[in-house]
Amino acid sequence: MAVSLSSVRLLSALTRSGSLCRSLHVTAVCCKNRAARPRVGKGDYPLTYEEALPPHYIGHRKGWLSQHTSNLKGEEGAAERTVEDVFIRRFVSGTFHNCLANEIVIKRRGNVIIVCAILIQKLTPQKFYFLIGYTEAMLSHLYKCPFKLVVQTLDKKAVYKYL
Amino acid sequence: MAAPMALRRELCSLARILSGISHLAPRALGVCSGHNKCNIIRSRLPSTSSTSFHTATVFSSITVTEEPDTLFQMVSVMVKGHDRAVLDSYEFFAKMAAQELGITINKVYEPPKDIERLTVLKSVHIFKKHRVQYEMRTHYRCFELSHMTGCTTQVYLEYIQRNLPEGVAMEVSTTAIEKVPDHILEPMWEDRPIDDKPGQ
Repeated sequence: MAVSLSSVRLLSALTRSGSLCRSLHVTAVCCKNRAARPRVGKGDYPLTYEEALPPHYIGHRKGWLSQHTSNLKGEEGAAERTVEDVFIRRFVSGTFHNCLANEIVIKRRGNVIIVCAILIQKLTPQKFYFLIGYTEAMLSHLYKCPFKLVVQTLDKKAVYKYL
Repeated sequence: MAAPMALRRELCSLARILSGISHLAPRALGVCSGHNKCNIIRSRLPSTSSTSFHTATVFSSITVTEEPDTLFQMVSVMVKGHDRAVLDSYEFFAKMAAQELGITINKVYEPPKDIERLTVLKSVHIFKKHRVQYEMRTHYRCFELSHMTGCTTQVYLEYIQRNLPEGVAMEVSTTAIEKVPDHILEPMWEDRPIDDKPGQ
């Protein structure tokens, strides 16, 4: 009894002093940012430059993947452009399945939509040309505006680091 | 050397485009006499006829109208974008184009940027105390060009707008000069004597 009382008095003295006491911080589970940040692994998982950098580097070390004017102040149509972008990304990644080295870049200049893609040389050039023509024709027919697909091919994916 | 040649070629193609438009609409879009800027442009074209591109067709399709061209005291071009570096390079391009065309640039300044912030919940369900903040930055750049004619303005603006980078928006506002109407030129009290005295 006496021991416990003295220990309680000791603890209270420590908390009042503050310097010697180590307090316990308790926070809810959802506090750390996890969006678009790859977790550290063994060291064998390759990452491109785009995937490796977290999103707060956009504008500083990263560029924009989708360039249009609807997010500027006083401009409208942001939601429509976003929906179009999502559809175009799914369409292109499905057409060139497993052949995309990086995320595609969508640029809008006036009426024209320019899709810039980097492909890996998995198929023969004739098949690539056919797929490029097919994508351009289908998307320009769907969206009723000129579409241009600008393609660059690589041997294999450009790896920035391994995690 | 390549840049002024490319610009002159652009001018030829633009003149062709404008003269093509003037065929459709009978309004004064073509080159008009009596304005210095248009004459300078005209006199530059024959000097380049020695090179490969054809100027004869351009000359035959230029229309001359009697209507006087509109005069602009100030043309203000404001460009906005998300990336400041893109606006810097666009400013260099626009300044160079204006210098080549002989347009006086009054001033080029950068209005302060606008940041639009929004705060949303970080989680799909509960965790009200944890939020994420996003922001959208809009940078501006403003060119003020002074004392231009309507033709020059159209050519310059068309050239500038065709070469706008993606993700950059432009707003143009012009201040036109008009001739003072005849019925205001002379004060009214000189024609008629004052009949009734003002006051009670």
